[in-house]
Parts: sequence; C-alpha cells; structure tokens
Amino acid sequence: MSSDLETKKAQTSPALEPNPATTGKVGLRTPNTLVERVLFILSRHRETSIAAVAIALVVYFQIGSGGEFLTAQFLGVVFRDTARIGLLAIGEVMLMITGEIDLSVGSTFSIAPYTMALLSVLWNVPLAVGAVAGILIGVLVGAINGIITVRFRVPSLITTVGTLFFLQGIAVSIYNSQPIMTPVEEPFNEFFGESLYNPRADAIVSWHSLSAFTPVLWAVVVAAVMTLVLNRTTFGLHTVATGSNITGAQEIGVRVDRVKVYNFMIAGGLAALSGIVNTLQFSSADPAAGSPFLTLQAIAAAVIGGTSLLGGSGTAIGALIGAFVVATLNNGLVLIGAQATVSDIYLGAGILGAMLLNVQVDRLRARRRI
Amino acid sequence: MSPLGVPVLDPDAPVILEMRHISKTFGAVTALVDASINLRRGEVLALVGDNGAGKSTLIKILSGFHQPDSGAIILGGKEVHFSSPRDARAQGIETVYQDLALIGDLSIFHNMFLGRERHKRVLGLKLLDNAKMRDLAVTYLKTMGISIPSVHSMVDLLSGGQRQCVAVARSIYSSPTILVLDEPLAALGIREGGQVLGLIQNLRRQRSVSIILIVHNYHQVFEVCDRINFLHSGAIVLDASTTETSEEELIRIVKSGQGRRGTAAAAEVGFGPA
Repeated sequence: MSSDLETKKAQTSPALEPNPATTGKVGLRTPNTLVERVLFILSRHRETSIAAVAIALVVYFQIGSGGEFLTAQFLGVVFRDTARIGLLAIGEVMLMITGEIDLSVGSTFSIAPYTMALLSVLWNVPLAVGAVAGILIGVLVGAINGIITVRFRVPSLITTVGTLFFLQGIAVSIYNSQPIMTPVEEPFNEFFGESLYNPRADAIVSWHSLSAFTPVLWAVVVAAVMTLVLNRTTFGLHTVATGSNITGAQEIGVRVDRVKVYNFMIAGGLAALSGIVNTLQFSSADPAAGSPFLTLQAIAAAVIGGTSLLGGSGTAIGALIGAFVVATLNNGLVLIGAQATVSDIYLGAGILGAMLLNVQVDRLRARRRI
Repeated sequence: MSPLGVPVLDPDAPVILEMRHISKTFGAVTALVDASINLRRGEVLALVGDNGAGKSTLIKILSGFHQPDSGAIILGGKEVHFSSPRDARAQGIETVYQDLALIGDLSIFHNMFLGRERHKRVLGLKLLDNAKMRDLAVTYLKTMGISIPSVHSMVDLLSGGQRQCVAVARSIYSSPTILVLDEPLAALGIREGGQVLGLIQNLRRQRSVSIILIVHNYHQVFEVCDRINFLHSGAIVLDASTTETSEEELIRIVKSGQGRRGTAAAAEVGFGPA
C-alpha cells in the first residue's frame, strides 16, 4: 500500500514530475513498413508531393514541346486556367474540410458575371459595382445551399445539384441565352483579368505582362487569405473541428451548422469572383460559361491537392497546386500535339490515382496507424 | 482514510447539486423515471447500472444536451434550466463524453482551447495566439502530471489513455464546480486506465471539484468514488457510500434486476416506495 501511495503522490505533486503511466510505450505510433512510411510522409506533406508532380509535368511538357511551355504567353494561359479552377477549388476545399461539397459553383460562376454584365448593359451600372452585386449573389446562393443543407438535413450533394440546375436555368433564360459584351472600364478590367500583354510590344517585366497574370495573382491572394483563415483564426479552427468530429465539436460548443453555412457562403463568393475574373478576361459574359464539368475539375483539383474525403483536413495551397496540375494537363497535352480528348484520359487517371492515395492515407488515419 | 489514502469526504460538505424527480422519454422509450441525485462539494459520485439504465441520459440532462420532461435541477441552491451544453458550461458544469469530443485533426493545444481560444490583435485582425495557447497547455499539462510527447501532436496520434487525460485536462482547465465523466475507462487497457484513474484520484484528493462518473467496472468504482448511485430501468435503486456497500451487493442487484425486474431489485435493497 505504501508504494501505491508513493506512485499516487508522484502524480499529484505539482512539480514537473511526469506521470509514469503516460510516458513510455503508449506514445506516438510509428509507421512500420516501407509503404506505411511513404504514406506517412505523404500524409504530412501532401502539398509537397503534389508540387513535385506539378514540377515533373512542367518539365515533361517543356521538353515535349521544344521549349514552348515556359513562355510568358503560354504560362499566361495555364495560369488563367489555374486561377479559374483554383478559386473554385479553394472554396470546395473549405467546404470539403467541413465534410460538405458544392456542385453548384459552376452555375454561380455563370450567373454572377452575367448579372454584372446585365446591370451594365441595361442600366449602365459600373462593372465594379456590378461585380460586388455578383459576388453578393454568389454569397447568397452559398447561404441558401448551406441553410437547406443544415436545416433540413439534406446531403449537400443533393442540395447543390438542385441549385446547379435551378441557377443555370435562370442564367440562360433571363436574357434569351445571349452572351453579353461587357464594356471595358479601366483600370477595373486590367486589375481583374484583362490581359494587356502584347508579346511583340511589351517587355517581359512590365505592367502589361503582369496584367496577363492578374487572375492567378488573385487566386494566390485568396489562397493566402484562406490559409491564414484556416490556421490562424477561430473560424478556421472551428471549420477543421466541424469536419473532423462533428459531434465532438458540437459538444464543445462549436456552432457547426453556422460554420458550414459560412463555408458555403465562402464557396459561393469565390465561385462568383472566379466567374467575374473569367468574364473580364474576354469582356464577354456567357450565361453557360460554368459547366458542371468545370465544377468537377475544381473538385478534382481539391482532391489532387490532398483534401481529405473524410473531412477535417485540406489546404488552400494544395487546392491551388491541384488546379495548376489540372490546368497543366489540359493545356500541356494540347501543346505537345495530343488530341484534346486525350487530356481527359490523363486527368481521369490522375484523379483516380490521387483519390486512391488519399483514401489509403485516410484509411490509415482512421485506424490511427499513422 | 479510504484504502488509497484519500481523506474521507467532510460529512458537512454542502450539497451543491440536486437533480429532483427527473423524468425523460424518447418517443416510446422511457429513459428516466423520477430519478433524483444529489452531489456534495468535492464528492466523487459514481453512476452505475446496466446498459440502457438511463445513466447517460441523466448526465446529458445535467450537461444541457437533453432537456428533462419533468423535474428540476438545483445548482448551488438555485433552480437552473439548461437549453444547451453552453448554458451548463456557463454554470460551471463540464462534461467529458465517451467520444471525448476531441478533434483528431487538431493539435493537443488547439483541442485544449477549442471554444475558448486565446487571441491577439495583428494589424487590427483578431488572430489566434497559438504561442500563448501552446505555452499555457504545456504548463498546465505538466502541473496535472500528464506527460505528452508534444502539445503539437495531432490528437489522432495519441493513445487512448493520453486522449482521455487530455479530455479531462481540457474540462478541468476552466475550473468547473462539477466535472461529469461518461465512462472514462471504457475501451482502455489496464495500464491506460491506470493513468486516468490516477488523474481522477488526484482530483478527488484535492476536493476542489465535484465529479460524477459513469463506470462499468465495479472494482474501479470502489477505488475512486465516495458514493454510488445505482440506476435500473431509469430509476435510482441504490444510493450508498462506498463504505456502506460492496461489490457483491452491486453484482446481486444487477443479477436480481435482470431476473425479477426493477421493482424487485428495489425491494431487495430496501428501497421501497417513498
């Protein structure tokens, strides 16, 4: 009994004596086999591994195209696609971290800039004001998606398929499915997507060449902001908590429904921003610009970028790199002379590979092996 | 002195919580029938009983997760109503559920401070003060005698005992008056269960927090608790201090309860209608 007492005392003493029972063999689980070790490293550094894939692809296409890939002009195209897909993907990542998904972002991508263009041609509303209206519409769509999902316990997969068709239907019917030419209102257009770069007249380091990259710069800014939000704010912490363990988070007092709705609103707002940037690039708003296919590419980018399918983990940077991989595959294969249709084969294989890898990592995580 | 060197609870310790005549049904299922419990300051009370006896429902009412159909909760002499876990927590009742409510994808220190994050202003933005939360967590876990590889570890990487200790530590951090533990020893091996029992024993020795504990292992009940309330079919059929009853008696109640239903069990332990 006396020895028993002593052990207990060791535990009570406020001194820095470690509880003997908590040290030693019950510590961290370490990976054993080679496969586990590789998966362990991947699970810790998913962005790094996907960045390596991205660099490998760039090298491959650079060589395959005889040096055509790494030119300002071509990179401008790849980065535009990266931005378009990436902004959508970042929104999807936020949602997928909470365990939800939004399939309607493509429709928001269409309707937000279309609203901006309509306001402009019908009532001469400045594009900047119309853009704000468009983003507010995107946020509103997100709020509706979110409220239906959490209030009526409808899976978001279903809710957002509904809003996908609903919004797409509205977009094509309000103005007889006509694409609308939007005016050019500088400096708004050049700041948000219009490229002024002329490879013959402009120096490579100039405002005009930079303007070719404004879309991707916005995507980078958004990725940086979302990274900050996820890692350094209460909302970000609660977003991860909601997706990682929803009952637990609820018991602690995290307002999980509210967190989900806010993330739907972020996804909607980013989809609207992506659509507006895309429209300003061409100064033309197409009511069918955002096909469901675009949404799926964004989800693919999020998954390739390492977002967990179980919720609870994912990064904005990963989404952006994933978007770059998708954009590189789409454009690079065309550049080296492959049929446009072939790129989908590679994209599909890439997504399957990334999903299988993620599922493996998730499964190990679920078993708490790594 | 009780066997493990914990001073006996002061018999004059005031009653700080009473749950009076609590009843609760879920649709056709009756979970609690006129159940009453009371808890004194610094006391460790065990709720025991078979699966479905109503233990979890009772503590979920106390922690604001469920609302009773009838009955009252009197906390520190005043009647209180909890419409959410938030309310209960605001009144000093912390609960550690069986699932521990730990977030596997967050670090230990983020888990410790989830829902009560520390902030700092950076360029007018309200950002998490991760360094402060990390330091507070390190110091705090050390003073509780809980050794963790690193507070940066994701909770997913911890063993069961470590998780339970982190969960208890998190709940104690806000200095609650009442700590509710829902089966803190379930699914733990002997060694890991030992860590948690040690932690509970520490708290019991300090007598600064009252603890309500759901336990299945009767042996452990006698190790760490002052008093036992036995639930059967939603009613309390035994209320005795650990010195007044024995493991054998508890087992007898379980068996007879199963054999002759609740009223018989109640009669056998001399718990007639009030």
